[in-house]
Amino acid sequence: MKKRKKQLRNRMIIAAAFALLLVLIAILAPVIAPNDPYKTSAALIRKAPSAAYLFGTDNLGRCVLSRVLIGARTTIASTFFLVAISFAVGILIGMMCGYFGGIIDGLLMRLADLMLAFPQMVVAIAVAGILGGGLGGAMLALGITMWTSFARLARSHTLAIKNEPYIMAAKLQGKNSFQILFTHIFPNILEPVLVNALTQIGTTMIGISGLSFLGLGVVAPQAEWGSMISEARAYIQIAPWAVLFPAAATVLTITVFNYLGDAVMEYRDAD
Amino acid sequence: MREKLLQITSLNASYGDADVLTGIDLGIDAGEIVCIVGESGSGKSTLIKAIHGMSGLRITNGSIRFDGRDITNLPAAERRKIMGPGIGLIPQDPGTSFNPIRRFDVQFKEALQSHGLPYDENAIVGMLRTIELEDAKAVLRNRPYEMSGGMNQRIAIAAAMMFRPRLLMCDEATSALDVTTAGAVVGELVRIRKEQGTAILMVTHHLGIAQRMADHVGIMRKGAMIEYGTVRDIFENPQNEYTKRLITDVPKLKK
Amino acid sequence: MGKQTAKQIAKRIVSLIIILLILSFLTFLLMYLAPGDPAEKRLSSQGVAVTKEVLEAEQERMGLLRPFMVRYGEWLGGVLHGDFGLSFKDDMPVGPKLVAGLKKTTGLASASLLLALLVSIPLGILSAVKRNSIFDHIVRLLSFIGNSLPNFLISVLLMYLLCIRLDLFPVVATGSLQGLFLPAISLAIPMAGRFTRQIRTETIEQLNKEYVTGLRTRGVREKTILINNVFHNAIGHIFTVVALQIGVLMGGSVVIETIFRWPGIGKLVMDSINARDYPTIMGFVLIMGTIYVVINLITDIVYHVLDPRV
Repeated sequence: MKKRKKQLRNRMIIAAAFALLLVLIAILAPVIAPNDPYKTSAALIRKAPSAAYLFGTDNLGRCVLSRVLIGARTTIASTFFLVAISFAVGILIGMMCGYFGGIIDGLLMRLADLMLAFPQMVVAIAVAGILGGGLGGAMLALGITMWTSFARLARSHTLAIKNEPYIMAAKLQGKNSFQILFTHIFPNILEPVLVNALTQIGTTMIGISGLSFLGLGVVAPQAEWGSMISEARAYIQIAPWAVLFPAAATVLTITVFNYLGDAVMEYRDAD
Repeated sequence: MREKLLQITSLNASYGDADVLTGIDLGIDAGEIVCIVGESGSGKSTLIKAIHGMSGLRITNGSIRFDGRDITNLPAAERRKIMGPGIGLIPQDPGTSFNPIRRFDVQFKEALQSHGLPYDENAIVGMLRTIELEDAKAVLRNRPYEMSGGMNQRIAIAAAMMFRPRLLMCDEATSALDVTTAGAVVGELVRIRKEQGTAILMVTHHLGIAQRMADHVGIMRKGAMIEYGTVRDIFENPQNEYTKRLITDVPKLKK
Repeated sequence: MGKQTAKQIAKRIVSLIIILLILSFLTFLLMYLAPGDPAEKRLSSQGVAVTKEVLEAEQERMGLLRPFMVRYGEWLGGVLHGDFGLSFKDDMPVGPKLVAGLKKTTGLASASLLLALLVSIPLGILSAVKRNSIFDHIVRLLSFIGNSLPNFLISVLLMYLLCIRLDLFPVVATGSLQGLFLPAISLAIPMAGRFTRQIRTETIEQLNKEYVTGLRTRGVREKTILINNVFHNAIGHIFTVVALQIGVLMGGSVVIETIFRWPGIGKLVMDSINARDYPTIMGFVLIMGTIYVVINLITDIVYHVLDPRV
């Protein structure tokens, strides 16, 4: 039993290391990128991979490797940002609903139910479509439904602990609700909600790159994997590298984060 | 000497780490009732699990023979054929031995057909009536989750009995029941033995039950059989200190 | 039980109607708040030169100058009669376009759903039964990867491989049966991954239930235990998983239909988004939302019938 837990722990650490590496690459992208990702060149249109352009060049003669690296930044940063905002909004709403109960709880939870009653991607496509493209619009479109899972989770964990003796003791000491929420409840419900956030990263990435692919997310010329694939798809016969490298980057990144989510879940479940 | 119906020889078993059963010897003749008594954690239920071999328990030493055949490490497909017509089991919580959301009649039918036996509803209804289940036909149309614990208990007994097994094992079969129902179940088991010559291995923490029905009684403690003898020997002339204490602790039940 | 169930269902239907009303309101609100003036959008999408007089006349004609609630009521009233308004693009009624697209999309979605289930049910059950075997590890790896693949990526890669490299399929699907294959597979792969994982988990959970041991102690055949009991008990859960996945499938079909030019409702909505054709987008959201909500209600009822405890 112990041995299995240790195995799972090692697996989790390895997955986390890979994820961290990807985040580092995203942060350092401007430094690592061998060429200017936005510099077009008529002389370099659709060149096959070479020493100077490891991943080749695209339709406008831009360096695919540099664009993949900068794209990592766009994709990973926007995903993290969106998950973080949904997490913050969701945990706040969930804690308040669980702690105070009453009408506000009823209303907000009905709202959450309502959000879950609609197909997320359909809502996102419509909202992003009407907002007329742009990364902000895409993130808003996905975020409308995303906060609900965090709110529900935070609420149920708050409900489970709100009558614990240490919360009662804090109340008797005359601490106000705000203090209790943030110094006593928040640290105790953080872990499960954080794990939920981790497992959402992969899906969120799929959502963002999907919207960008449709032209409803990142707008040209900004580099993002989904939109790069979408652009280069038209000339895939002539320059497959312009599609295949961002595709590989997408698969790799989503896989690593999904794997990390799985590993953390399994580690937590094993005892 | 003629071989016993069930013969367990110096059996050790474990769930992985330490042995939870050590050096168990036990023989049961056809038509004999043996009660194994012990406190919870004594290993008495584990012994039943070792015999039916379906709970991930690993036998580390010794052997189990049933009806002249070594069943210690029988492959699952072979074991399946014995379970039911050879060895029947009434589990501790009989409600959980059926699929909770499917009707009893379908489940009875599947069990019988698994052994190539025909499903004769009238026979089943007749049997349910003998164990005082009125309105047996309606009961068969029900699902386990809709029934009370006592009802499920009786139906589980019927499900074990419909195969007319050579050996019937009862794992704390009365612990979930009130005194009256428990008494009725004991009476029923005794009657079954009398009518069909079924051997019964009953595991209980209740000495009174052992006294009332058993031919032989075994006392288990910490995974070992510390005393074994006829019901008269155990109750009138116990050898082991622990057994003596058990007997004086338990209020006598009228026979 | 019957009465109780009927009451429950009636309650659910009432809340379903409320949800649909809210959905219709939100949809309308979204269009109302959308940047830009619909009259201007309509005129420019039809290539009319927009002057102030023309614009004002158009606003008057489209009824845009009336109060919000009146316009909402009118739109909703129309929708309830199957009238989704006129397309900004070509002044054709939106309703028939949506219905035609929906038919094509239903075909594609059913094909991909069927494909995903045909693969994932046996794989999920078998890998649960043969837990921790090599087979199980392979299935888990494949379903994990499938689950991590965005479907636009699968379709682009499949197109490259099968249409361009191997020249096995036509690149553009345009609604034919042969053309159905690639889009259906593109949608099915991530779904199959998700289904397999969940069916495996649910099967393992069922296999660990006490009743399985109970049936084994009666010598019930392993096949009977697995199919008539374990799978039977798991199927309600599987239904729920599938119903939830329909929402993802709807989003996915927008992407896939656009890529393969499959003339379904998803492609229609993307074309409408690009043309700022609001009535069509509104109709799309409303129809998809309604289908999703209704499917989930039906699933809950089916689940209850299969497992009356729920």
